[in-house]
Amino acid sequence: MSKITSFPSTAEMSDIRHALLRRDPLSAAKEVLYHLDISLGSALQSSTGPTPGLEKSTVELVEEFIFHVPKDRNIQPKRMSCVQELQLLEIMCSYFQEQSKDAIRQIIFSALFSLQGNKADESRMAMLGKLVSMAIAVCRVPILECAATWLQRTHSAWCVRLARVLMDDYCTLVPCAISTLQNICSASPRFCCQLLTAVTALYDFSSDELTPPPALLEMLVGWITEDPRLLLLTFINTPLNSSLPLGCLEITPLLGLLRWCVKAPLAYQRGRKSALTNGHGESEKGTAYEELYSKLHLSVLQVFLMLQVHLTEQNLIGRLAVLPVESVATLVEEVSRLCEKLTPFPAANHIQLALDRLAQALQVAMATGALLCAREDLRTLCSRLPHNNLLQLVMSGPVVQPPPHSGPFQPNMYPHIHPGRPSTLSPHSPHPVLSPHPTHPALSPHRPLTAHAAHPSLSPHAFHPAAMAFPYRPIR
Amino acid sequence: MSAVFERNALPAMQTSHCHTPLNNYSPQELAIEIKAFISGVDQTQGRKLSVRDHARCAVRLLRTVPACRGAVLEHLRGVYDEYVAAFLQDLEAECENGGNSTSGGGSTSVSNLEDVIKEVHAVISEFIKLSPKAWAPLVSTWAVDLLGQLSSKHAGRRAAPHSSSLNEQLQLWMSCAATRSLMECYSRCLAAMLAWCPDACVDALLDTSVQHSPHFDWVVAHIGSAFPGTIISRVLACGLKDFYAHGYSSAEKINQQQAIDKSSRVPKIGSVVGILGHLASRHSDSIKKELLRMFQDSLSPPPQNVPPHSSGTGGWENSPHLRRATVPFLLQLAALSPTLLGAVSAELVEYLRPPILIQLQAQFKAFPREDLENMLGLAVHLISQSPSGGARVLKFLADTATPSSVIISGPTPSPHDSIRDACDRLLQMLLLHLHKLVHNRPKGDEPFPQSSDDTAMPQVIPFLEELQGHIGDLCAETLRLERKRHLWLHQLLCLLSVYGGPSVATEALCQLFTKARNPEELALASQLYTPLSTSLSGLLSSTISRCVAQIHTQTFDNKELAQLLNNLATVVQSQEEDRKNGVAATGSSAQSSMAAQVRVAVSSHLQDFCSLLLHGDAMVSKVAVYLLSCSQLPRACSSAHLLLICRAAVSHFFVCLRQQEEGLRVGEEEVGYSMRLLSHLAAYSPLTLKAVLQQLVEGALHRGNRDLFGGLQENAGDDTTQSSNLVPDLGISLLDINCKFGTSVNFSGSVWSVFHAGVIGKGLKPPYSPSQPDPDRVTQNMQTLFAVMVQCCTSGGASPTGNARNGSAGDTGNGRFAVSEPFVSDELPPVNAEAAKVIAVTLVENICPDVANGELSWPPEEHAKTTVERDIHIRRCFEINPVLFHLLRVVAAGRPALCYCSVILRGLLSTLLAHWEASREPSVLDSPWHLQTSCLLVSCMGEGQLLPPVLSNIHEVFPHLSPFEVRLLLLGVWEYMRGNSPMPQKFTFCADRGLFFRDFSRDGDVARYIAPIHSVLHKNMDHLGHLCWRFQI
Repeated sequence: MSKITSFPSTAEMSDIRHALLRRDPLSAAKEVLYHLDISLGSALQSSTGPTPGLEKSTVELVEEFIFHVPKDRNIQPKRMSCVQELQLLEIMCSYFQEQSKDAIRQIIFSALFSLQGNKADESRMAMLGKLVSMAIAVCRVPILECAATWLQRTHSAWCVRLARVLMDDYCTLVPCAISTLQNICSASPRFCCQLLTAVTALYDFSSDELTPPPALLEMLVGWITEDPRLLLLTFINTPLNSSLPLGCLEITPLLGLLRWCVKAPLAYQRGRKSALTNGHGESEKGTAYEELYSKLHLSVLQVFLMLQVHLTEQNLIGRLAVLPVESVATLVEEVSRLCEKLTPFPAANHIQLALDRLAQALQVAMATGALLCAREDLRTLCSRLPHNNLLQLVMSGPVVQPPPHSGPFQPNMYPHIHPGRPSTLSPHSPHPVLSPHPTHPALSPHRPLTAHAAHPSLSPHAFHPAAMAFPYRPIR
Repeated sequence: MSAVFERNALPAMQTSHCHTPLNNYSPQELAIEIKAFISGVDQTQGRKLSVRDHARCAVRLLRTVPACRGAVLEHLRGVYDEYVAAFLQDLEAECENGGNSTSGGGSTSVSNLEDVIKEVHAVISEFIKLSPKAWAPLVSTWAVDLLGQLSSKHAGRRAAPHSSSLNEQLQLWMSCAATRSLMECYSRCLAAMLAWCPDACVDALLDTSVQHSPHFDWVVAHIGSAFPGTIISRVLACGLKDFYAHGYSSAEKINQQQAIDKSSRVPKIGSVVGILGHLASRHSDSIKKELLRMFQDSLSPPPQNVPPHSSGTGGWENSPHLRRATVPFLLQLAALSPTLLGAVSAELVEYLRPPILIQLQAQFKAFPREDLENMLGLAVHLISQSPSGGARVLKFLADTATPSSVIISGPTPSPHDSIRDACDRLLQMLLLHLHKLVHNRPKGDEPFPQSSDDTAMPQVIPFLEELQGHIGDLCAETLRLERKRHLWLHQLLCLLSVYGGPSVATEALCQLFTKARNPEELALASQLYTPLSTSLSGLLSSTISRCVAQIHTQTFDNKELAQLLNNLATVVQSQEEDRKNGVAATGSSAQSSMAAQVRVAVSSHLQDFCSLLLHGDAMVSKVAVYLLSCSQLPRACSSAHLLLICRAAVSHFFVCLRQQEEGLRVGEEEVGYSMRLLSHLAAYSPLTLKAVLQQLVEGALHRGNRDLFGGLQENAGDDTTQSSNLVPDLGISLLDINCKFGTSVNFSGSVWSVFHAGVIGKGLKPPYSPSQPDPDRVTQNMQTLFAVMVQCCTSGGASPTGNARNGSAGDTGNGRFAVSEPFVSDELPPVNAEAAKVIAVTLVENICPDVANGELSWPPEEHAKTTVERDIHIRRCFEINPVLFHLLRVVAAGRPALCYCSVILRGLLSTLLAHWEASREPSVLDSPWHLQTSCLLVSCMGEGQLLPPVLSNIHEVFPHLSPFEVRLLLLGVWEYMRGNSPMPQKFTFCADRGLFFRDFSRDGDVARYIAPIHSVLHKNMDHLGHLCWRFQI
């Protein structure tokens, strides 16, 4: 990786370092930024390779002078004051704003903020949080775009942390700042989409802390109802063959939002229950958000339909599980646990509402090809849930005649159900069911699908749809 | 990326959700604002922002750009700092100008910034209110840090008070808007955070306080008073850590003097003391609890499975070093602050149970010797300074230091030997220390300590001050005479007395006198007195005065009172014995010197003790008479007191006799004491002699005492009323009885009917049955009475005979009478004439109802008819009071006193004459009382030399004569008396025998009066021949 000629040698680097050590922290940081810009910019221009790597010494410089990681034990780096830090952030903002080349911007951004797994990561995250927060405030679209990319490539734990910082800043700390955040949607929808995913991963209703704040919910619903396509933005813009890193965020916020819609009635009911047992009588807030959640639910369902259109266009129906079965299984698991907790409490309405939503979503997701799941698997999956008429219907389903191949969309059919035993149904052994993230061993198929694991994993794009003989009913 | 550009076409969303008008800045505006904030230059106009505008800009950013908050808060530090500087400058200028002129520039800058600060404050408070969880940690850290910075930065200013005066500091800083605003913010944060994470908040506070130590105290103090529970424990823990870090071995050098100026060498403990001292005014309970808890925690075994930061107090319990440093730290803390000492001292002792002590000892094992010495010294100092709980401390020390023994085994197991030794040592050192303090007080070496006591105490020793209230307990403890313990306590009492001056000393002595139960215990009093006598004069007299005062106020119960009197008597008696044995002459031993003083003191209060003679409790009256009998009457004593004493003594004498009568064995000894007292009294002066005798006679004749001496109860009205109360109403008719008797008995001739007396409706009057007293007892009483009277009458011989009597009273009960017998007949000292005259006069006064015809000379016998009634009365008196004859004999012994009884003799004689004249019985033996009376009368007159020897012998023949002859002889006596009037002038004093004698030769011829005797002798020569020789002239 050290083929970048413009980079100074190690000896030079140590000289630079000593020079920087003498300067005040702000100007040293500025100097490092400048250095980075120059060297990476020139490297990018000169090199033909995909992405110029960073030299170790440069990384160290960045870490030492921007993120203030002590390099030797005896030299304690001078930290910047908050005002200086703000200055640096401002400089960065302007820099990214003014940098016309997307590529350089991206590279420098990732040079600065992609996580290295060392102890600089903490301050890296802190700085990134501030930078993104500030960029939101002053609407620096390039930075937000870079941040969206960062959110796509980084492990979800870090993404959640970033989301947490932003939520703290805009939802809890400064009371009226949420409107600023709201405006961002128009400026950088891609960032917003990623932020949505991260936020849904952050707030999982596991405690009061992790229940989405009302203002946030309102804003998100506003975003989505304004333009439901927002949810699919990342999915659509991501090239199918791009390999996503391990443990990153889901590609759409759909599952997260679905989780919200399903769990919200139960969670608010739980909150009410604890409030009642504590003797407080205040719990009308839950009902106020019911409407928002049903709006959200509706949007989610609509987006599934949109997704179907997209999948069909891309000829991906049945080959790409937008909703991974495992995640759905986890959701079902959580819902059943919540229901169990609530059962002694008269909460039948809420449980039924949650189950109705789950059933609807499952139905639509299966119908639109977002969820690839056999009905038997669904049954085993949902067996622990309390009884719900709709769910029951969805699980049993109508009797399905093997439909003609590639017929047009027939709304009264449940066409795309995955065959329980493909070997019995179809002689074609190359099975189209594929993980959308083949590189991801953690997402090993759910148990009912283990039969397919024996099949060689193929890239969905290498697959010709016409070759499928076929239990799917692609919709339109 | 392409998507982004597609999206740009989308319609912009509404941004009108926010309610605050401040928020509708466009991003561009915000960017400019940020730039302006960073550069400090107005971006549009290009000029420099004023401080005020800059601050405003910062506030705007705080509201709109969350990412800027760190920078904004940092910037605001500068604003606050500037405000404080201007504020102080104003103050200083004001001070310089005498507060008159206002420095224009300064005040405008202050007022300029003031509204900015208000604005900032408003924004921050709003934020905290809206989302406490998000802002409180942030703001609290910031505010505390800033406060610390401000207060230490400006600490050196002239306007700022010295860091030691916490209250002034508090006042100054709370009057400054900036710091007050910060303080309020912090309080809000803390209030919000206490609910879920107080630790972080307080730790930041304390870290800052550590950093800016003395200058930051006011903040901690203020916060502490708002949140006492949280702050106190942490402040303590923090102080402990610092104390440990400084090394507590240096603590030795800090004694009180150095503690006053909080030198920079020990910054933290000074702060801790200051803060706690400030809090102590209102939260002393919490502080006390915390201190005690700290102590306990330091000793209890370390919590094993507790994660280091879970405990609320900063986790010092987990470090063995810190735990070990706790006790020295607490000691040091207490040494520096009297308030804290006062808070803890009272209750700490309660915790020092044996298991705790063992732990403590185990902990102290690890200390170097030098440190231990220092701590010991410190502890001693603290104990001597502790204002309360001293008594408990003392008790604890004494209890623990008392050697364990098989005999004294309390409910608690005896502690370890080394612990005991340590306590012993501590106690010794404490005593030594107190000794030094007490005796090295200024003016202590003055020759006349009373004068120094008049002035205010030069140096107060709180421990002793407090113990002054527990003297009673101390004395009681001391008197238990437990081995080492009473030595310590005794020493302490001594110190207390010296310290407290006469009042304490007298109280202590008074207590000892009251509570000592035996001579060994009593010896403690003299041991206490000896060292004190050199410094306090007049101690014993004031002690006795105090005792007397307490007697008067009836503070003592009977047992104590008796004990006190007995002890005093023992002391006095011992002195007397010493004097007798000649010990006092040789060596002025402590005991005897005190005894002499006590004797003098007691004798000056005899009149106060005498009232106790008649105390209802037998024990008290007994010891009272013991005391009085062995103490001396003072030289100069007012007659009123003397009479009081006499009256009491005599009354007591009769009470004694009565008690003896009732069979109470206490009487025996008591009578002896009483007799001794009476004889002392009688020997004291003529006045007392007269009073005693007079009252003795009156007492003996008193109706209530009559039965003691064999007297008959008069069946007067009181008897019937008594019996009417006793006899139940039987419904018997008196009339019926009378009728019945009237018919059955026939009184033929003279009287027609006899009516029986009685109460109508209650039947007959019950027959009078005189209670016949035990003749032995009567004799004994009579003997006692005469012994007393004779002792009193024989002037000057009081003490030797009294003592002899006492001695004899001890061995047998009857021995006394054997002694009294020779008394009357041939005792060495003759009966004093004056005394006898007193008795005589008293008798006359009591027996003779009127003074008509009361002259000494006798009228012709016929004239007796005019005084029949009086004579009968006199006779009746003799009838019911057999004691009268004996009294008469005493009178007769003291010639010529019998002359004064002339009227009585005359009355008695005339009734006898009448009786014998009327008597028709053949023998005089048929009326025994009259015979006996006649004999006694004549012999008595002979003894008193009213009759010449021959004439006085006639009673020897009375029993052998007929009534008529007796009358003849008695008539002769009368005649003689008429012829030779009984005049005292006729007696002459015979110096060699100490008696008066009458020379009968100077009177007329006796022979004339002897003729009837001779004729009677002749008539009855057959059986009176052997007596003829008695009547030869």
